[in-house]
Amino acid sequence: MRLFRILYLILSSCLLLLFGCSPSYKQMQSASADVSVLQKFKPAFTVALYNTTVDVVGNHLSGLLLIKKMPDSSTRMVFSNEMGFSFFDFEFKPGGDFKVYSITKKLNKKSVIKTLQHDFELILMNNLDNSKAVVKTHEGLTYFIFSQTKGFNYYITNPSGDELVRMERASNKKTIVEAVMKNYLNGMPDTIGISHKTFEFNIGLKRIER
Amino acid sequence: MLVLVSGVCVKAQYSGYTAVTDLPKFKASFAAAAQKTNSIKADFVQDKNLSMLSEKITSKGNFWFKKDSRVRMEYNQPFKYLMILNKDKAYVKDGSKESKVSTRSNKMFQQINKIMIDCMQGTTLDNTDFKTRVFENKTSALVELTPVARGMKEMFKSINVTVDKKDFSVTSIQMLELSGDNTIMRFTNKELNAAIPDTLFDIK
Repeated sequence: MRLFRILYLILSSCLLLLFGCSPSYKQMQSASADVSVLQKFKPAFTVALYNTTVDVVGNHLSGLLLIKKMPDSSTRMVFSNEMGFSFFDFEFKPGGDFKVYSITKKLNKKSVIKTLQHDFELILMNNLDNSKAVVKTHEGLTYFIFSQTKGFNYYITNPSGDELVRMERASNKKTIVEAVMKNYLNGMPDTIGISHKTFEFNIGLKRIER
Repeated sequence: MLVLVSGVCVKAQYSGYTAVTDLPKFKASFAAAAQKTNSIKADFVQDKNLSMLSEKITSKGNFWFKKDSRVRMEYNQPFKYLMILNKDKAYVKDGSKESKVSTRSNKMFQQINKIMIDCMQGTTLDNTDFKTRVFENKTSALVELTPVARGMKEMFKSINVTVDKKDFSVTSIQMLELSGDNTIMRFTNKELNAAIPDTLFDIK
């Protein structure tokens, strides 16, 4: 459980760095683009099981992440180890509400839960209000920017909007998290990667055929 | 014979089972049978039941146990995962990533190690980390292990081990979590005292 202690300490300190910085992403140019192109990248999870690896500052953890769309349109995520022991069970509502159904004691820290919540919200793409999106361009890519309670979520596409190059979660100053979703099959990505930029914390998901 | 454990406790009892009245006799028989078992080779099917999501995650693999305190578990479907427990060391391979841990410093592996080894070596009933109750029917016995030690109490409501009364070999291990979810591992095609090379448990 040393892994969880390290994760907690790092996330606590990173939250202090995250906010209150001066504006950045200065090189971007204002642009106009159809925000609705993002809808096709929103993962249409029904039920999917992912082989999952987590690397935190030299420590490695693996397991299975089950993602299921529930009848009330919420999305549940349950992460357990290969032998079946559950680490957490989260619920994401379409309107942005979030609930922790269960979490192992070692992970049950506000900073850890917040970080995982924001990481998964970035890839679920539940709260993309087109009317509030800001569109910019930089180095041949289109940035769709959505203001969050704290910081911003960026969805970055190629100019034609037919490829989601990457996603980012950022403060005013710098990138906090980069994420990718690739190889969609039946609306669900086969590969998902989440990589933190302020410290080594990477989550890798590879879909398992059941 | 495969014994399915319902995991549903009805008035502190298990359906089809009655409490063992002569516990010392059961314990002695269990220990005597375990003494004769030097190795176990089996296949396993593991079902994780997520009660609130109405979902089941099934995985399959192979299992080897050899005295003293050596276990190899190889998950083959629907993912590859290898775990070797060799005394106080553990080795894990998930995908291409290999890691070695000391079960002394890693509580999770320490608990897994203790549960698996105790079940296979017949020392389950002596484990003071649990409050133990034993039930039986005609063909099998159910050992209910309720954690009393702090670490385990935070992980499991109980662990139920069923053994075949014919040879006292383990037929299933069910872990009931506090959330209501449970995982049951059922052993099939068991071979007791099969020749198993030591190299299977090597941690390099």
